[in-house]
Amino acid sequence: MSDYEVSDDEYYYDDEEMMDGTQDDDEYDEMDMDDDYNDYNDDFKVDTVPKKKSYEIDYESLSQADVEELMKQDVEHIVGITGVEECAAAILLRHSSWNKERLIEKYMDNPTGLLVEAGVTVPEQPEPTTSGSRAHSVSASSPSTKRSTRSSSKILSSFVPSSRNSSSKVSSSTTGSSSTRTSSTLMKRLSPDPSPTNSNEPFTCPICFDDSTDLKPMALDCGHMSCSGCWQAYITSKIRDEAEHCIRCMAEGCQIVSPDSFVKKVLTSCGDSSMMGVDVEANKIAWSRFQELLARNFVASVPSLKFCPYPSCTNTVKCTDAALKSSLTTIVPTVSCGARGIPGLEKSSGEESGNNNKNSKSKGTSGGSGTSSSILANKEHKFCFGCPIEADHRPVVCAIAKMWLKKCEDDSETANWIKSNTKECSQCQSTIEKNGGCNHMTCKKCKHEFCWVCMGPWSEHGTQWYSCNRYDEKAGVDARDAQSKSRASLERYLHYYNRWANHEQSAKLSVDLYAKTEKKMEDMQLTSELTWIEVQFMKKAVEEVEKCRMTLKWTYSMAYYLAPGNQKELFEDNQRDLEKAVEDLSELLEGPIEPEDIPNLRQKVTDKTVYVQKRNEIVLDDTAKGFHEGRWKWNVPVEGFEDDEAGFDA
Amino acid sequence: MDARLRRVNKEISDCKNDKTSNITLELVDNSPFHLKGSFPGPEGTPYEGGNFEVDITIPDAYPFQPVKMKFITKVYHPNISSASGAICLDILKDAWSPVLTLKSTLISLQSLLCSPEPNDPQDAEVAKHYTTSKASFDETAAYWTQIYAGGPGPKASLKGDNIKDKDNKKGKGGMMDEIAMAGLEKAHVEQFESLGFPKAKVIDVLKRLNYRGANVSSISEDRIVEELLK
Repeated sequence: MSDYEVSDDEYYYDDEEMMDGTQDDDEYDEMDMDDDYNDYNDDFKVDTVPKKKSYEIDYESLSQADVEELMKQDVEHIVGITGVEECAAAILLRHSSWNKERLIEKYMDNPTGLLVEAGVTVPEQPEPTTSGSRAHSVSASSPSTKRSTRSSSKILSSFVPSSRNSSSKVSSSTTGSSSTRTSSTLMKRLSPDPSPTNSNEPFTCPICFDDSTDLKPMALDCGHMSCSGCWQAYITSKIRDEAEHCIRCMAEGCQIVSPDSFVKKVLTSCGDSSMMGVDVEANKIAWSRFQELLARNFVASVPSLKFCPYPSCTNTVKCTDAALKSSLTTIVPTVSCGARGIPGLEKSSGEESGNNNKNSKSKGTSGGSGTSSSILANKEHKFCFGCPIEADHRPVVCAIAKMWLKKCEDDSETANWIKSNTKECSQCQSTIEKNGGCNHMTCKKCKHEFCWVCMGPWSEHGTQWYSCNRYDEKAGVDARDAQSKSRASLERYLHYYNRWANHEQSAKLSVDLYAKTEKKMEDMQLTSELTWIEVQFMKKAVEEVEKCRMTLKWTYSMAYYLAPGNQKELFEDNQRDLEKAVEDLSELLEGPIEPEDIPNLRQKVTDKTVYVQKRNEIVLDDTAKGFHEGRWKWNVPVEGFEDDEAGFDA
Repeated sequence: MDARLRRVNKEISDCKNDKTSNITLELVDNSPFHLKGSFPGPEGTPYEGGNFEVDITIPDAYPFQPVKMKFITKVYHPNISSASGAICLDILKDAWSPVLTLKSTLISLQSLLCSPEPNDPQDAEVAKHYTTSKASFDETAAYWTQIYAGGPGPKASLKGDNIKDKDNKKGKGGMMDEIAMAGLEKAHVEQFESLGFPKAKVIDVLKRLNYRGANVSSISEDRIVEELLK
């Protein structure tokens, strides 16, 4: 089906690869390492491979075909219980947002009512005999939408006595049949007789008014006939222009939904009717789009499923752990859909990205020879199952990440400006901007007069209007103290924000670092006898640095909201260790490379990489465990944590 | 022949043949996809006696996408924009069905004039007027029908040369119209005008505050003056 579809086996492989910490063991094994490192690496492997890390969650990647399989299972389940046809079961499920329990309950309660409501069957219509009962039958036929009832009843009400005539006249002229029927409601006026018993009458399509003999009349269960060409045009326009998967009958007010089989029949049966100028290609596109819409509807309805948000990726991730909103206070559901690359960025066909997926060797090759854009293009589709804000905001939970980003969006620039352009009145703490004039300030609010330079009261300044030499005056010192206190919260925020922003910036620059590192790797191969595979340690290190910077970045948002105490101190210790390690490694990578120094450098970088990795593990692991245990306490109320808090206090 | 063209041609000829419904369709710029429809205002409503013209654009995907309609004739109605003629009606949007025709849609517009839906308004000010004082609303709607749609008008006294003023209602001769046009009482406008406020502004503020019917007693004069001073 789609180019990016990958078979199940590949997914499992991918999962395994993730389980061992995205380490590519082959590469390390091939490297000539000293025992120390090997031991370390082995320990590391033994430690992590068998069990899931605390900061990772179980999830499953599904292709569209897999999603369709899940849908089929649900449909079969409903068919088994209710005994309705497959197509009907699918419509029922979509109608009840794939909530099987509710559907079954409702079905058992009132099967006919539900079938009518969902648009599977035609409601029982009392045969309208008089014009008086017309309004009744109209409103009965469209019970679900108030507005359509309104419009139909309005149409009816518009019939002044004389127009009864006219409507029956139109009926005879448009349908070309059943002119004997006197009960010509407007509803039926334009639709043909539901049961065209008289086959001698030529069929005229009520939509396009074509009456050629080779027309293929089609209708849903409700019997509202129209030609296949009109059905095609209608269904393709619904699918393409409105992205609608629930396609109702064309007759006005008719609630019957066309089953998938009918849509398929309409869109694929057109091959023979070439005289209609049918666009077979467009129909094919519409059909596949229809299937996609059905899958999207299913995924959107089921809380444990999420679509991959990357452009034109059709994969889905199933994550049962993160399905409940309340679970988002204990886990950070970072998942990845299994596909790689963004189609637009990749020159080569999508199949290759599928192959890269399972074959880490080929991934390595393309990474080594490609440019920095290919690194980007080859990234896996990582995203957060719980929120749309950022792909990977581990270790902080969605609520904190969201709060932090909101604060930064609202505050950071303002806070910076306030910090650099204003001072507070030493008496009433109003924020004051000095927009000109001399240093003799008078607070607009409390009329306090002070000196802008030393912040002391103006009364001590005498007549020295334009300069202040009284820095050490006691009143001035006190005023500055008060000022600094009132600035503390601002300073505190900026402290965290600046570090957060710094790591974000560095992570962004890592694309350049990649390019630079690749250049260095090439140089290294030229100047020393190291082979391509042996210089991969540089790339590994850069990757690790980028990853750790993302972790570090989010730890600052976490630290900002953590309530002071031992837990926070431990957290910040871990954070400091990681940060120091990352900076050291960064420095090594950025530094110049002397040919004679390469073996030494390689040793250092490799060691540091492993150390950094380990520190990152610790931070992620400890934070995730903290969330599980409810260890973290916040200095502000955080969405979702209120109950927790109460539970712990009790 | 193109299915859309065939259908539109059929619809136009059907409409021509049908003399009883009083609905007409005519081409604009000789294109069958840009039409002008018209229908008489329904009896027993303030729109009675008027002739209402509607601009009709047939989209490419017609009849699978709804036809685009808006009033050319100005109409004082909660579901029709008094400024642009835009129409709020379900069948022109999501409740459209391909079996509906231009004629049946125009009939629906006609019946929309019979039964306004002020809870789902297109023109909020008009809807407010409708809900506060139906009688006053009817008067204004009839006045608009007279001015713009050639109707008989609400009262005999309003008939006459006012029709000529419809295009220069900002002018001096049109001042009188403006008050009725906004559905306000002449006495109210003059009361505030005598305080020295320009007439146009008074009308604007009173219209905005919905100074009509029962509302008159609940809005204090100070409040109006306050608004006028803004």
